[in-house]
Parts: sequence; C-alpha cells; structure tokens
Amino acid sequence: MAQKKLSIRIDGQLISAEEGQTILQAAKANGKYIPTLCALDGLTPVGACRVCLVEVSGVDRLFPACTTPIQDGMSVTTNSPRLTRYRRISVELLLIERNHVCAVCVSNGHCELQSMATAFGINTVEFAYNYPKLSLDTSHPRFVLDHNRCILCTRCVRVCAELEGAHVWDLTSRGIHARIVSEMNEKWGQATSCTSCGKCVQACPTGALAEKGWAVEEMVKNLGTVTTLVHRRGVEV
Amino acid sequence: MPRIQDIGAFNTVREAGLAKLTPAVPRLTVGMGTCGRGNGAEGIYHAFSEGIERSGTDIVLAPVGCFGACFQEPLVSVRLPGKPLVILRKVQANDAGRILEDVVAGNLSPDLIYCKIEAWDHLTGHVRYGEGYPEVPAWNEVPFFKSQKKIVLRNCGIINPDDIEEYIAIGGYQALYKVLIDGRPETVIEQVKAAKLRGRGGAGYLTGNKWEFLAKAKAEPKYIICNADEGDPGAYMNRNEIESDPHSLIEGMIIGAYVMGAAEGIVYVRAEYPLAVHRLNRAIEQAREYGMLGENILGRGFKFDIALVEGAGAFVCGEETALIASLEGEAGRPRPRPPFPAQKGLWGKPTNINNVETWYNIAPIVMRGAAWFTETGSPKSSGTKVFSLVGKVKNTGLVEMPLGTSLKTFIYDIGEGATAGRQVKAVQTGGPSGGCIPHDMFDTPVDYENLAQLGSIMGSGGMVVMDEDNCMVDVARYFIEFTHSESCGKCIPCRVGLNKCLRILNRVTEGAGTTHHLELLDELSRYIRDCSLCGLGQTAPNPVLTTLRHFRNEFEDHILARRCTAGVCEELALSPCENSCPLHMNIPRFLQLYKEGRLEDAFLSVILDNPLPSSTGRVCQHPCDGRCRRQTLDQSVNMREVHRFIADSIFQSDKYEAMVQAVLARKLEPTGRKIAVVGAGPAGLTAAFYLALLGHDVTVYDSQSEAGGMLRFALPEYRLPKSILRREIELIERMGVRFTLNTRVGTDVPLNDLDDRFDSIFLSIGTWKESWVYQPGTELKGVYPALNFLEAVAAGQDVSIGRRVAIIGGGNAAIDSARTALRKGAEAIVFYRRERKDMPAIEEETNAAKEEGARFVFLAAPHRVMGDAKGCVRAIEIVKTRLGAYDASGRKKPISTDEIQRFDCDSVIFAVGETVDLDFARASGLSLKENGTIEVNRFTLETSRPKFYAGGDLVTGASNVSGAMGYGKQAARNIDRHLMEAERWARLFPDVEYGQTLPEEPSPSRRHTGQELAAAVRVLSQDEVVTGLSHEAAQDEACRCLRCDVKAVNVS
Ligand code: FES
Repeated sequence: MAQKKLSIRIDGQLISAEEGQTILQAAKANGKYIPTLCALDGLTPVGACRVCLVEVSGVDRLFPACTTPIQDGMSVTTNSPRLTRYRRISVELLLIERNHVCAVCVSNGHCELQSMATAFGINTVEFAYNYPKLSLDTSHPRFVLDHNRCILCTRCVRVCAELEGAHVWDLTSRGIHARIVSEMNEKWGQATSCTSCGKCVQACPTGALAEKGWAVEEMVKNLGTVTTLVHRRGVEV
Repeated sequence: MPRIQDIGAFNTVREAGLAKLTPAVPRLTVGMGTCGRGNGAEGIYHAFSEGIERSGTDIVLAPVGCFGACFQEPLVSVRLPGKPLVILRKVQANDAGRILEDVVAGNLSPDLIYCKIEAWDHLTGHVRYGEGYPEVPAWNEVPFFKSQKKIVLRNCGIINPDDIEEYIAIGGYQALYKVLIDGRPETVIEQVKAAKLRGRGGAGYLTGNKWEFLAKAKAEPKYIICNADEGDPGAYMNRNEIESDPHSLIEGMIIGAYVMGAAEGIVYVRAEYPLAVHRLNRAIEQAREYGMLGENILGRGFKFDIALVEGAGAFVCGEETALIASLEGEAGRPRPRPPFPAQKGLWGKPTNINNVETWYNIAPIVMRGAAWFTETGSPKSSGTKVFSLVGKVKNTGLVEMPLGTSLKTFIYDIGEGATAGRQVKAVQTGGPSGGCIPHDMFDTPVDYENLAQLGSIMGSGGMVVMDEDNCMVDVARYFIEFTHSESCGKCIPCRVGLNKCLRILNRVTEGAGTTHHLELLDELSRYIRDCSLCGLGQTAPNPVLTTLRHFRNEFEDHILARRCTAGVCEELALSPCENSCPLHMNIPRFLQLYKEGRLEDAFLSVILDNPLPSSTGRVCQHPCDGRCRRQTLDQSVNMREVHRFIADSIFQSDKYEAMVQAVLARKLEPTGRKIAVVGAGPAGLTAAFYLALLGHDVTVYDSQSEAGGMLRFALPEYRLPKSILRREIELIERMGVRFTLNTRVGTDVPLNDLDDRFDSIFLSIGTWKESWVYQPGTELKGVYPALNFLEAVAAGQDVSIGRRVAIIGGGNAAIDSARTALRKGAEAIVFYRRERKDMPAIEEETNAAKEEGARFVFLAAPHRVMGDAKGCVRAIEIVKTRLGAYDASGRKKPISTDEIQRFDCDSVIFAVGETVDLDFARASGLSLKENGTIEVNRFTLETSRPKFYAGGDLVTGASNVSGAMGYGKQAARNIDRHLMEAERWARLFPDVEYGQTLPEEPSPSRRHTGQELAAAVRVLSQDEVVTGLSHEAAQDEACRCLRCDVKAVNVS
C-alpha cells in the first residue's frame, strides 16, 4: 500500500516524507544527520539517550527524533545552541556515570560514545566522575560483558528480543543502579536461552559487549550485519 | 439481594438506606480511615460496641471514613433522633462510657464537641438531621472548614463506606441511572467538557477532551483505568477518598465506561493501601450484587465490570505509560508518547486513564449540571481540589477548596498559621516534583497555570508548609533524593542527571559547596526538565529550580558563610544553640567548662566569643532558647543566665585583673594597621574588641559622651545597670582601643578624613531616629519619641511626664518606656494596634511591666493627641482596630474602625519603631537600599566604597543587641582577612580540652531562672529587677545541657 506523503521542513529545507515515519527516519532518508546513541535502524526506538532531541517550531518542548512520528507541515530544527548544550550534557553524563577508560578499551577508536564525545569536542567534563565499582561477566565462552562501559542504550535487549527472539537481556533495578542482566540475573554463561549468535555484541555501541580474544582497539563492530538482517527478514517496526 | 432492575427496587433500597443514616434511635459513628485508625479509632469503636452490647441500649453504631480534620482525630459523630449530627474530636477509648451515658440521657459532652451539622448537601441528595444546640458551632463556622467546599469529599466521613445502601440513600447511583435512561453518551461528554473539569492527577488535561478522544477511537475493546497509585509522600487524598466513599469512584467509572464505550475498568491501587483495597473490593462486590456492575446494569442493558489491581507502589507508575506497562506485567518504565494511551494503551487498545479524584466529580456534574460546576473555581479551572495540608501549621488535614483560592487562605485561614513562636517561610506544593513558593507570594491563587508560573505544579495536591526551621537546601535535597531513588533509569537526564544533582546538593549541605556548584545545579536542572522522557524526570528538578530562584540566599549561606540558618544541616553547625546565636558562641563548651568547675576557662571561652557577656546575659533576645533540644524533654537550658553568671563572677570579683591579663595574652602581634570604628554601640564595641585582639590599632568614634550606644542610653538601669556595662567597656579599653567621644562623624569629622587616616573604617551607628508619622497633636509639649525619652532618663536629665503617660507601640522600647515611667511614679497605659500575642517585645518584659502596674489596651491605634491652651498634652484619642487579613509578617493586619476612645494623660510616648538616621546615610555617599539602610555584601560587609564596611542597624534597620554584635564580629573577621590577606581568625582562640561525653539518661529537671524583685518594691527604684542565678543554679543549668555538639558517639 502506498504511504501517504507528508511535507515537513527540516532545518528549513522542505522535505517530502512518508506518513508513519519518525523524524529520524525522514531526516535520514533525506541525508540529514541527527546524532543518535540508543536508536538502531530496525529496532523499536525507545527514546532513552535523548541525544536525538530536536526542536519543533511552535512547541516549547523538545522531541526525540527517534520516536516522534512526523506530522504534515511540521518544522523541525536539528541544531541550535540549546540542543548542542543539552546533547553535550547527555554525553558528559554518560562519561561520568561509569568508568569509560578508552585507553584500555577493546573498542577504543571504534566506539560510538567516544566518537560522539569527539564530535562534540568534549575533552574534559564539568561534573565529577562517579567511579562506581562495577563487575565484569566473563562467564560466556565467546563474549564478555563489562558494566563499566555500558550506557544502558538497551540495543542488546532489543536486538536479542526482536531479531533473535531469544530475549536473553533485560534491564534490572532502578535509577542509577539500573543494569543490563542476562536471563533472571543469571551469569551470561549460564543463560540457557542464549544462542551465542553475537547480535548483541555487534549492536552494542561501546565496548560493554565484546568478543573475547581482542586486545585494546581491536574490537570493530559490524552494525551492518544487524541492520541488513532486519531488512532481509522484514521485521516490522 | 436481587439485582436492581427498575426504579421501584431502586427507591426501596434508597428508603432502607435513609433509615440507617437517620434512624429513629441514636446513631454513633467513628471515623475509621487509616488516619483515624492510626489514632486509635478501632479501640474506640470496640469500646462503643461493647458498651452498647453490655447496656443493651438501642444505638446504631457504624464506621465511617474521614471527615478531613486530621489534627482533631479520632473523630466520633453522634446524632440523636431529630437533632443535628454533632462531631466530637480527640475522643479516646476511655471517653466511650461517658459518651454512651450522655447519648442515653440525651446530652452531649461539651468538652469533646467540635462542630455540628444540621443538614448536609451530598450534591446528589440532601439529608436533614435536625436543628438544635445553638451553642455548638456549625461545621462551616470552625476555621478549618470555613472556606472549604466539599464536592469530591461530599460523602466522606458521613456515610458508612461499607454499605452501598447508605450510598444509595444520599442519591448515589442516581446519576448513573439518569445517564443510562437518557441513553445519550455524547451529551454527557459535552457536559463534562462544558464543566471544564481537568484531570486531578496533576497534569490538568481537560477530562472531557480525553473522554471524547476515547469515545471516538475505533478499536475494541476499550479500557478505562483509575489511577490510584498515589505515590507522593505526604499526599493521601486518594487513599482517604477510596476508604471513605468507594462507591462514588465506582459510579464515576461506570458512567465513564458507558459514555466512552468501554466494557472493562481497572483500578490500579497501591498495595500499601490495604484498607482502601479492602473497602473498594467490598464495594465492587456490593455493586455487582445490587446490579450496578456486570451484565444488564440497572436493567438498562449495559455491561461493564471493574477489576482491582494492586500496584507495587513505584512513584513512576503514576506516569500513565509506566502504569500501563506495569499492568501488562512489565517493569514500570514509561514509554514514549505518542502513541498516546487513547490510541494504543493497555494491550495496544484504546485506553483512558483518570485519577481517582477526577472520577469523583462525575456524578455531581451529571446531577447538577456543568453550569453549577463552573460556578466554583477559577475561569480556567472549575471545581475544587482536595489538598493535604501538612507541615508547620496549626491545623492539618485534607482540605477541599475551590481552585483559584489563594495560598494565604490555606495557610492562615484554614491552617491558622504557624505553630507558636514560628514564622511560615514557604509552602511546597505538588509533592516531590513540586516547587517551593516563598511567603511573599502567598497571594497566588492556586490553580494549574499560576503554580506552573512559579515553577511549581498542582500535582496530586500535596501542600507542605515550612517555617524557619526548614532548610530550603535540605528540602531540595530531600525531594531530589526521593525522585532520584524512584527514577526508572531508562533515560540519561533522569538517571544520571538526578544522581549528579543529588551529589552536588549533598556537597552543599555538608558545607563543601562552591558557587560553581550553583551554576551546575541550575544548568543540570534545566537539562533534566527539558530532556527527560517522562513526567517524573521533567518535573523532578522543580524543587531545585524553585529553591534556587526563591531561596538563593540560603544556598549562598551554605556555600559562602558555611552556615545553615535553619540549623538542619548538621555539618554546618556545632549545635542548634550555637547556630542560632548571632555571635555563634560555643555554648556547650562554656557550659561544660563551668560544669567541670573551671570558672576561668569558662570565662575565657565566653569572653572570646562575646565581648559583652554580662550585658547580653541580661538583655539578649536569647534565640538559643527557642532552639534548645532540651525543650523536647522539659524546658530549654537557660544559657543566657549561665554566661551572665560566669561573666559576673569574674567582672565583680578580684579575679578580674588576672582575666584581663589572660585576654591580653591572646592579642596577636601588632600589625601597624589603623582602623576606625564609627559608633560605640554593641556592633562597634564588638568589632573594636576583635580588631584589637587581632593586633590592629583601633579608634572608636561616638557622638555621645560615653561609650555603649543603646546599651548605655536606651536600656533602662533596672534592666542593665550601667556599672556592669562600664566594667565590660573598661576591658575593651585595656585591650588598647581608643575612644574619641563627643565627636560626630560626618559633621565633626568628615568621612573623607577617616578615609585618609585609616586603613579600614567600620560604620556601626545605631537607629536613633524614631520613625513616627505625623499625627495631629504630635507637636504638643509632652509628646516624646521613646528613644529620646529613654536616653534623657539614662543621661540623668529630668524629663517631666506628669501623672499619666500614654505609650504607643508594642516593642521593647514601648515596654522600657512604660516601666521607666512607672519608676518615675506615673501611671502608664500602653496602646498597641494588634493583639498581645503579636507584640514584638520580649515576653518576660511585658509580663514584668504588667506586674508593675502598666495597663495595656490592645487593638488601639493613636488617632490624635489633644492639648490645652498652653500647648501641653491633655488627652489622647485612640481609634479601635479590628483584625483583617494576614499581612506579609504573618500577622493579621489591624484595620481602623469608627470607634474612638479618649484617655486623659499628661504625656505621650511614641515607640512605634526606629530607623536609621537618613541624613548620615545619605551624606555618607555610600549606596543605599530602598529603605535607607546601607547596602553591603552580605558576607564580607563591604560597602560600595573601598575600605568602608558597615554592620548592625545601619544595614538591617532596627534590630537587637546580639544581632548587632554579630555584625561587629563578622566585620572584624573580614576586615582583618582583607587587610592581612590571610585567615588569622582561628589564632585568637585557644585550644581547650573539655569533656566530650554525652550526659547519661537525662532526667527531667526544672529550668532555673533568676530571682525577680517583687513588683511593688522594684517599681520604686532603679534597682536591677532580675538578679542572676546562684552558683548552684548555674551548675544545675550547665548540667542540663544535652551536648548536641558531641556527635561521634562511642557505642561500646
Ligand atoms: S536516539 Fe533517540 S533517544 Fe536515543
């Protein structure tokens, strides 16, 4: 069925987009960049990281581009001093929340958090570091989970549930104590539902989920495999 | 009971219910909500039922819900046939026998009576109880209920929540019947829209619009949900509504379901509300039994049922998408909107969610119409809202008020103001994500828009009143701690942002805050508000943003002065008494030293903290008394009298010389810096003492012939013997301070001169000008400003006041004038325009004046002074006042009436307040504040002119002795720091070892006070009225200290 066409403006440019698309999808389809961390093409958007927030004219509030459906005549601004400031704070808060020590990270140089920080020119943070004591789960034969590097984007949760159908991962606890857990807080190695497909590892934006056997800077993720898979299987989002 | 299928059956039930509500025999009810039960209502109920059984009398006993006056719990109501319903308050189980006897005899126990209800409008029906008891106030005549309007709470506390027949009796389920018979859902939606009913859960969306949205949704089935997940600490209106009147909720929901086309309803209620769950379950069962739920409701073919789901009580589940997630069995985490629940809600189906209270408004709107509903409330927000008024007010409880009522009405009319001796400072509305509104904005009408404008929210209707004992930084910290722990953790702003906010606030309350922290807090809060995913995060920073906006000075106190004025932040105060003392005397230390028998050490501790300990020991306003923790046990420690005793024991003995040497030994090496102090009053003397101690060369200027300022010239001899003061000033002189008297700075010595000759100048002249307003007759002979009068008497001049003196005012100067006049053999009448309890004078002084024979006329303001042919005062006419609305000071404003009274007198003394000598302030060329006081940096006391500092009355307007001395101390410390570019203050104080153990098991003991001379004797002389403590009494007092300063308790 042919989708209805809607006209919207993104940063002043008139764009024709399909009804049902999110602002992010419409922007991407027209070559407009909006920064994202938790969104992953093909997975249900959750609006957790808030770096994709955009301004919609006529409305005071900010909207996450990844979850907000477009409306006819909508005029979206993807960049403003306020948005930049807020995006910076989001990234800074992620950096101080846990222990992101790039120098010893397998994903150094291939990390979405790191490259976003670089893009925003963050070389020092304004807030004091939290330095929480967090654990490492090395029980899986092929993969590791390092909570120190997790930003709780829940891409692993969604890729596992929506694509692999295994639903190994979930979020537990509240607030600052929220953690990714496998099954009912089982060690990953003991999680019987895990098929060891590795999609979560590929979907993870940082070094939180990684393959064993790689040294610093060596873990290059292949997001493409995940998104191609989505489209091939025709998963509806 | 067969299900009701027609109007005949309905009416039969109604009659049966009415017979229960107004039986032909006495009916007794007990308020058995959670609040009542917490206060022993169950015991009372049992006592009644046993008593009734034992005596075999015919009395109907029933439980009811809560009537709202929580501060009067437990409530019992009694109704004798044909008589009004009488509400008794604070009933105890052992009152039961007496009440039953009274009921049988047809009497009432007068001591328990709170109010009566002759007839009650349930809005859906009317009940007449009967008339009588003219001496008992009607319910809407008592202050707590006076301005309330009960729409939501229409049935609460009156009917038995466990009995559907009583609900039907007062017109319950009639609205439902009407809607079902009319069979036109769209008109009901129109009605709700026209009524402008807004969601009472907090966000305030128009309920009618929400309903229309769902009614129009195509997908089936549709769900309606009642959100009873009341998670705000301190808010309990939903709990009370369900406990007291569950059927109103059910009826509202059935009507909603019918007009929106839903077949299933869910009440999501907190599991922490067992009684509400229990009563609601019971009500649902009864509704099914009577044909209000299930198939073919009331025989009209409509089918609907309600399920009750108990939630785990996560705060975030108040957010509708999180609530839906929780109902679906998932973790209660919010989902992005859109899609909105009305499109895709529970199980992906169209869903309507309304708060408990919203549902309660439905039946009255249906029965009385939209126009009736919009009569109440403000133009944009119709109807009422239930608030839980708690915190630092006299009357607390659930209050239902028209939207748009001003905060003042809540706090002063219903709450009847602050608790004794305190002042309301702010009110926090809207629960943990609300904001704090300062006292000077209490005129604000309470509705959605106005609260939002002040940075707060309506929320579920929490209203927490705060007074000076609440630290606003701590309040912000407390609420952030709460929302932080309730954050679901999904989005970054709320999860990490709130955590960071909390950490910064913790630093500030621990005294480790920086001004940079304030900027960070502000930015972070805005970020969390603007970027969070759900309402929890978006509103969570409100407490921080509003306190930063309205109480920034408290944040600054914590950061720049390392002080928490409220005395809440433990790390920032040694003890509550030390914190409240303007001089920050280490009170526990001198008490302990004295207790250990170390008089000299105790004296050194006292004098180094307070250079005028004998004088202040007599005349200080002693704020420490009001803070002493001992009050919770018996009475506060008489700290002022102990330091007076310690100081007197040295000053009046041969130990004086040795102690002078001991103090001199503390002097730092001479610095060669020259400092001028202008004004030899308490502030100036204190500054001079410390500056000399710090090694500076100090010269004090004063226009009078003797040093001491107000202490010397305004305080009468009988309160502060001049010989005592002289001894203290002598010590300051011995420190090397030079006094240049009879010299007026500004005229005799220009300020520029001082600027040339000194390295720093501290200005501390007092408020010597009486701030009176001209009134007819004030030019007559025999009219005196109080300070001039006191000064002249103190200087030994002969002031003729005649036989009868009228004194106008209610402050210390008025009382001093009256007592001085009495000592001159005159009669004294004090006229004050407010009530006795509003007088700013020290209470003991007022009492003493009364004993000595002063007369007081309250609610009286001067009208005119009348003279004789020679231009002398002959009489005064006063105008009687009455008290109107509350003013900014939290007292009722006196308003003149037409009643004029005349009093013959020979002189009139005006003591209506003092102000700064504006001429001096203006001539000084320093920048001034609007009220004519000199503008200074609050922390350093620097003025707009380099080298010049100012403190005391010049900065604050008229204040008191210790307050002024506090400024002197602060100035000395800052001047020294600036001049010497180093923090040398701590070097002044020796390290002393003293006991650090807590007193064991303190037993109740009496507070010791000084002996007063008999009134008849003392009024004949200038002798000091209050003699000091004896050595034993002082010892006892020292031992009564609970040592709040000892914090690290060794548990061994
Ligand atoms: S990408 Fe939209 S919120 Fe994370």
